Amino acid sequence: MNEKYVKAVRRYHRNLTFALGVILLIFILIPLFVKSPYILNIFILVFYMSTLSMAWNLLGGMTGQNSLGHAAYMGLGAYVSCMLITKAHINPWLSALLCMVVVGLVAGVIFFPCFILRGPYFTLVSIAFGEALRQFIINSTFFGRASGIGLPFKKGNSFLDVRFTSKVPYYYIGFVMLILVYLFMKKIERSRMGYALRTIREDEDAAAAIGINPIRYKVMAVVVSAMVAALVGFFYASYTRYIDPELMVQAKSTESVLPAVVGGAAYVEGPLVGGLIMIPLSEFLRAKYSAILPGINMLLYAIALLAVIRFRPTGILGWYMGSKVKNFVDTVILKKPPVEWFEAVEQERSGRKEA
Amino acid sequence: MDIFLQACVNGLLMGGFYSLMGMGQNVIFGVMKIVNFCHGEMLMVGMYLTYVLSTTFSLDPYLCVPLVAIIMFFLGALIQHTLITPSLGTKSFTNLLFLTVGLGLLLSNGALVLFGSEYRTIPTSYQQTFISLGPVNIALPRLISFCVLIVITIVLFAFLKYTTTGKQIRAVSQNPVGAEVVGINTKRIYILTYGIGTALAGIAGALLTGFYTIFPTAGASFGFRALIVVVVGGLGSIPGAFFAGIFLGLLETMVALFVSPSYSDLIVFITFIVILVVRQLIILRRK
Repeated sequence: MNEKYVKAVRRYHRNLTFALGVILLIFILIPLFVKSPYILNIFILVFYMSTLSMAWNLLGGMTGQNSLGHAAYMGLGAYVSCMLITKAHINPWLSALLCMVVVGLVAGVIFFPCFILRGPYFTLVSIAFGEALRQFIINSTFFGRASGIGLPFKKGNSFLDVRFTSKVPYYYIGFVMLILVYLFMKKIERSRMGYALRTIREDEDAAAAIGINPIRYKVMAVVVSAMVAALVGFFYASYTRYIDPELMVQAKSTESVLPAVVGGAAYVEGPLVGGLIMIPLSEFLRAKYSAILPGINMLLYAIALLAVIRFRPTGILGWYMGSKVKNFVDTVILKKPPVEWFEAVEQERSGRKEA
Repeated sequence: MDIFLQACVNGLLMGGFYSLMGMGQNVIFGVMKIVNFCHGEMLMVGMYLTYVLSTTFSLDPYLCVPLVAIIMFFLGALIQHTLITPSLGTKSFTNLLFLTVGLGLLLSNGALVLFGSEYRTIPTSYQQTFISLGPVNIALPRLISFCVLIVITIVLFAFLKYTTTGKQIRAVSQNPVGAEVVGINTKRIYILTYGIGTALAGIAGALLTGFYTIFPTAGASFGFRALIVVVVGGLGSIPGAFFAGIFLGLLETMVALFVSPSYSDLIVFITFIVILVVRQLIILRRK
């Protein structure tokens, strides 16, 4: 009997790996078949906005600290990497690492005192911080004031300089960035830190009572989150090759939150799902109607956000988790065995280890 | 010295608007403990409403104020009843926050879709009229607006202090469960509160149209300043919000005068962060 359980569980895992492999393969093969730079641009947008949203989700979804200033970290990352490339002539890849360190430090130092603030007050500080940073850059001659700075244009492609004439390499770099950040976030979710962060989200005082230092973990979360946002900033700067303070406006921060909230902020995959659905839809509307009705794409965003919060407060993924669709996918496509079978196999395994 | 006095007066007049916005935000935040992130957009809606009313019925913008207040009150009540009250039950601060953020997006982009991104103004015959008080010149629309603001502040203060409904609102803000126990219909109070909050934002918008351009993101800076006013002036305090708004207006003009106009936003935001942190430290120390 046990043999049957083990086989079923193994088959399920194999099916799951296969399904994920197929999805991965589809994304790898897309640039071979899709030649339109416009479509590729939308995919690249999905990749980096979802990554930014995942960065937000670590702080907002997992820790419960609703930041509305993530565009500022992204913008700061973009600025630091651009300054390093244009003024210090550092290799762009190295500048990516350095800008993550710098932005992480800045976020950690600035938010260290701010973490005594809770709930709405933290959100207010994050907005004020983002706006202050934007105003600082607008007023700073070193950072090119309101006119922004551009990366040098040269002929030809260069992997070392992250400079390509075609969108395909950016597609792959963006995709790799997304996958790496996703795996990293998944790792955090299952680590000691992930449990600590979720405990803080549920009840900060209780967390402190059982020996979790809330300030320490919150600072860790904000530093990691800001570092990932800085990485996105670096990618954005190398992709568009021109940045200006408009990158940090409040609306951009809100935009970075939407995929996570629509997709389901309680899940690491939430931003991916939300981004994959919302961004192409918004871009399509922008392309189709922006000449006649400007703002229609953001209007749709707003309506989707309100509808999700009002009717499905746990997001698309939260709805999927308890829906019949998931049941169908699990039992018919992936052939998931009942939970007891998993438990039996698990017990068998631990029993064997003890023996 | 003359420039200094002029700057003081300008700061005072602008601060009045921050006060009015802050009071609306304060009533909402005090009663429901939610930050209304679409407060600035409500001001923008008030501006467009005034624009539509005054152009279609060729009314003076100041005569539109009561109409705008009534329409905005019902808009706020509708939003509270259909969107916010059901979500209040989930007790999820994240959802409530993004609900108001989403409403803000909806309103500002809705205005963009309906009216386009052009800057609009409502021309009046007294737009360029100035009144001289000694060395200080005051634009007439600003002065009228400020006087109306003062009247509304007093009315609101009296309403919350002396009327039964006002007392009920204060009771709910202090202890919603206790208020429910003594027979106050908290849902009704929530609807009333949100309506009053949006009506105040709408009034501020209507008063602004006399000397300010109307565009879909006009409310953003006022919205954030309203939050500053709430935090600085103290929760639930109408006089506190009034003086905090005036202080903010004066701070802005003083920075613009003595440092540089382009730094005024930067300094306002940094002051805000410092005040928030210091305030929290004092609260923690007291505990």
